[in-house]
Parts: sequence; structure tokens; C-alpha cells
Amino acid sequence: MSSTMQAIEFEFEGRRYKGFVASQGSETWYHVDGRTWKEATSTRRRVGGQGKASALEDPRVVKAPMPGKIVKLMKAVGAEVGAGEVVVVMEAMKMEYTLKSAAEGRVAEILCAVGEQVSLGAELVRLEVVV
Amino acid sequence: MTKDRRIQKLAIANRGEVAVRIIHACRELGIRSVLLHSEADQATRAWRMADERVCIGPAASAESYLNVEACVRGARAGGADAVHPGFGFLSENAGFARAVIDAGMIWVGPPADAIEAAGDKISAKKLVADAQAPTVPGYMGEDQRIDTLVEEAARIGFPVIVKAAAGGGGRGMKVIRSRAEAPELIASAQREGQAAFGSPVVFLEKYLDRAKHIEVQVFGDFTGQVSYLMERECSVQRRHQKIIEEALSPSLTPELRRAMGEAAVRLAEKANYESAGTVEFLLQDEKFYFLEMNTRLQVEHPVTEMVLGVDLVKAQILNAARAFQVWPQESLVARGHAIECRIYAEDAYAGGLPSTGRLLGTHWPEGPGRRFEVGVEAGDEVTPFYDPMIAKVIVWDESRLRAIRKMQSVLTESVVMGVETNIPFLKEMLAHPEFTEGRMTTQFVGQHFPEGLASADHQARRHNELTRAFASFAKTKISRGATTGSPMGSEDPTRAVWSSPWRLM
Repeated sequence: MSSTMQAIEFEFEGRRYKGFVASQGSETWYHVDGRTWKEATSTRRRVGGQGKASALEDPRVVKAPMPGKIVKLMKAVGAEVGAGEVVVVMEAMKMEYTLKSAAEGRVAEILCAVGEQVSLGAELVRLEVVV
Repeated sequence: MTKDRRIQKLAIANRGEVAVRIIHACRELGIRSVLLHSEADQATRAWRMADERVCIGPAASAESYLNVEACVRGARAGGADAVHPGFGFLSENAGFARAVIDAGMIWVGPPADAIEAAGDKISAKKLVADAQAPTVPGYMGEDQRIDTLVEEAARIGFPVIVKAAAGGGGRGMKVIRSRAEAPELIASAQREGQAAFGSPVVFLEKYLDRAKHIEVQVFGDFTGQVSYLMERECSVQRRHQKIIEEALSPSLTPELRRAMGEAAVRLAEKANYESAGTVEFLLQDEKFYFLEMNTRLQVEHPVTEMVLGVDLVKAQILNAARAFQVWPQESLVARGHAIECRIYAEDAYAGGLPSTGRLLGTHWPEGPGRRFEVGVEAGDEVTPFYDPMIAKVIVWDESRLRAIRKMQSVLTESVVMGVETNIPFLKEMLAHPEFTEGRMTTQFVGQHFPEGLASADHQARRHNELTRAFASFAKTKISRGATTGSPMGSEDPTRAVWSSPWRLM
């Protein structure tokens, strides 16, 4: 379900604001007082929090942070990878982005290929932590 | 010189907001517009606004907007007698200019020879020597082996910047800070150059570490007269992509302005330049160095138009029709101050990652001295195929400080829903003392916002009583029948705007 963006007159603590709202699928977007944000309508999600998303993610997996094309794979299966080292080069919107590993380890699995178009959040490389 | 050549139908070999800009100029001049578009751009503002449309190929720009043959064929099929290339894509491709002319159409832009002489960064440097403009030390040799390039970079001394010779817009540009990272960054620039511009040739130059980016707008008419339309400062850049531009620069003395302007004119004259062009300089310690010449209209041309009261796109078209005389130098006097902010579809809180998706709605707060150059509207898709810039907001006011305040106010009221934008980031940058005091250099973003807004604790992001109260109030509004979901609307990309459920407010 989706709706057109609509303007909403809103009064708060004696001041009037012109806000906007729109929803699409499981997302609702809001704008008031110079701030635009979205909230998940159905599933619970972190909203406007200060925590970094990466803290919740598995550091052994390098994921696509945006939809785009794989340009280059910097490591082969079995190669050792340092934390912060570039593992994959992606292209999106005509710019190249380097994806770094959050953890130190060894490449266990490569889940993408050069030239492949990947979607947001796709797992690209999996590492195993070397003991 | 040929006499008046009438243009009746103009083909636009571009997309997004610049296509809209050119359509506006066509309408004002009574010229019909033909939009040459890719399959991915069927539901965009320019597509709806153009008088006629020709689909020239698939989404991938190499097969559509960068395909010379497809563009020329499309323009002819559309019955156009002239072609405007906009900026980016084929706008600085001399081969395209020649192909357009060979096909019997008028090229709205500089002559192909001038594009080659001034636009190719390597030959431009030779031209610049003739024009006696200073340049930054570098390497522009034909030997493009990685080993050679690494050696040359070391000779110049790090930091060194590598750039695609055929490039622009930040693509194919990398700063190399040490020998260790040089080979990979050079290879990456070569790949980006190949992908974006069809050529892997790169050059190197010394990276000035606290320089300002100042560019001079020039315009030449078909009789050979060239004037300079003052400068723009575009020091606020990230990954060499400009974000905030202004006219005039707060950093130039009248003497420096004249010296740079005259150097730019000499360069344009040496190249037998015609139409709109921009000579980019770096300015450090009151010395300026030639950077490159862009042989096309610039993204940031509106700030020049605002302070000088000119219309560069109409001037380009009229000049191509041989019905234009350039503004005499002494008549070009700037008034007030103009600022442009580029609105990118990206997540300001996630280091500027591109954000794609369907636009749910936009609201651009109209008012005096405000200009919105918008490429997409509610219902349109922001795709990963092209540049992430979806709009430009331009303001004019009597002084720089007032213009900054106006921009803050306009951005506060601007709304984009459906994709994330850099608006919160723009507001933070505009508020930074280094910017408000006009001291910013090209290092501004890297120094003060290395991860965009990702790393800092930003007031603007925090929820407060107001936002919470608004969200719960708005929810009741939405569930009260405002939802107008359509089973078709979101699937059919060719729907007409008037039948769209995604109406602009």
C-alpha cells in the first residue's frame, strides 16, 4: 500500500508546524521542523538511534552497502585479510566504492562475481576468523 | 561566418534536471524539444515535459547516453535540426559534436576542434602554456604503464592526484598519499575512466592540500568575441564531486579576479572557443594554477546566472543559431550573492551511500530569490544507473551571509520522501564557521566531515517531543482514508502524469 505525500498542519506547545507524511509498503516517511525521517510500519527497526548499525552486524561478512556492480575482488579464497583491508571494489551511480573487512581473518567463501549486479545487503565475502 | 541558422527542433542528449533546464530554454525560445532517453528514464520529469521523446537504448549509459551512434540516430529520427548535449555523458566528446554536424544538424556547444584543444586535459596543458597561465606540476605522458605512473607519482612527491584524462565530475579521480597505495588507486582510476568515459588514459599532478577551487565562466560567440562571466567557488567537494557552489567567490580581490578572468579568456581565445565553457583553477596562497577546462555547460551554472542576470542555456542555443553576441566585458557586473546546493540521493548518516527507490513526494518551498532545478518528481524512480544528483537548490540574496541564511531556511523546508538525501549534511556544512567565514578549501569536507554525518552525534537526527508527537498524529491522518494505493500505479513506468496516483502536492 502506498499514499501520496500529504501536508499536515500540526500544533505543538503553542506553535504551528507544517509537516508532511507519506507511506509506502512497510515504510512511513515523516517531515516536521526541518527533519525528514522514515519508520518501519510493520517490523521493528532501529529508528533515529545513535548506535551504529555495524555493531549489530557480523564482522565476518562483507555485505553490499548499496545496490551496484562488482568491479574487482581483491582476495581469493584462503587469503588472509587484515581488519580494514579492502576486499571488494563496487561501482554504483558511476562511482567506485571500496568495501573493507571489519574483521581480521581468512577468506572462507566468495559469494559474488566480477561484473555481477548485486542488491543492497547482499553477502559478498565471508571470512573465517583465524585462531 | 554563416548567417542566421534557425533552430526549430532541438534534441536533448541527456537526462535529469539538466534536460529539464534545456526544455525550459526551448519553450522560452519557441523551439520544440526532443528528449533522447534511455529505457530507464521513461518516468522522469524531463520525459513528461519534452514535446517529443525518442528512446535511444537500454539503461546502461554505455548503450544509450554514451552511445554516439544511438544519439545521432535518435536525434534524426526525432526530426531535430540541433543537438544540446547538456553536461556529463557526451557533452565533451568531439566525436559526437562531429557526428551531429556530419548528420546535418547544429551542435549546441563549442566547435569539435575547440573541445579537443581545450577539453582534453593533456592538450589543454599545452594550450595553457601558450596562454601563460600557471599550472600545477605533474605527469601527462603517453606511457600509461602502472610502474611508470607510480615512479612519476613518487617524483612529483605525494600527495599526488590521479585523474582520467577524458574525465570530469569526480569520476576516475583519486588522491594517492603514499607509494604503497599508488598501484591500486591508479588502476582504479583507469577502470573508472574506461567505464565512465571510454578511455583509461590518466594523468598525475601534485595535490595542493589547502587550495580553493575557483572556476571562471567564459562565453565565446560565433564571431570570436570572448568574455568572462566572473567566477564560482566550488571548494566544498567530496570525492571530487562538488556539493556547494557559489558566485562570486568570497576569496578573490578585484585584482585577482581580473587576472584569473583574463587568463581564462586568453585560453579560450587560443582554443578558438565558442559557447559556454569553464576554466577551473586552484587557488592557494593567492596564487592560482590552471586545473582543467570544461568545454560545456556546468552543473553549477545557475549561480552565475543569478548574480549576473544572464541565461547561459539560451545564450548557447542562440549562439548555435548564429543569433547572439556575447555580453561586452564591461557590462558584466555581479550583484548580490548566489549559492547552489546539490541534492544527492544518498544517506547522509551512512557516509553518503547512494539511496535508490521510488520517490513518494517532494516539496520545494518557492519564494523570492529561490530556484529549484528538479529532475525527478513523486512516483519517479531513482535508479542506480546514473548520477545520484536529483535536484539543485539555488538561492540569491544581497550578501553572502543572507544567502547562507536563506539557503538554511529553504533546506529546512525542503522535503524529499522515498529516498534519503544529503539535506541534513548540507545544513551542517552551511553552518560550519569555516564555511560561513569563507575560509573553506577543497579539504573542507574531508577534514571536518570525514564520514559525512555518520560519526558525529547530531542534534538534527535526535528525536524529540515534537517529532514523536508529530509521528503519532500523522499516523492517525494516514489511516483515515488518505491511503490511495493503486494496484497499477507502481508497476507501469509509462503512465501519464495525470493518471498517476503519485501526484505532487
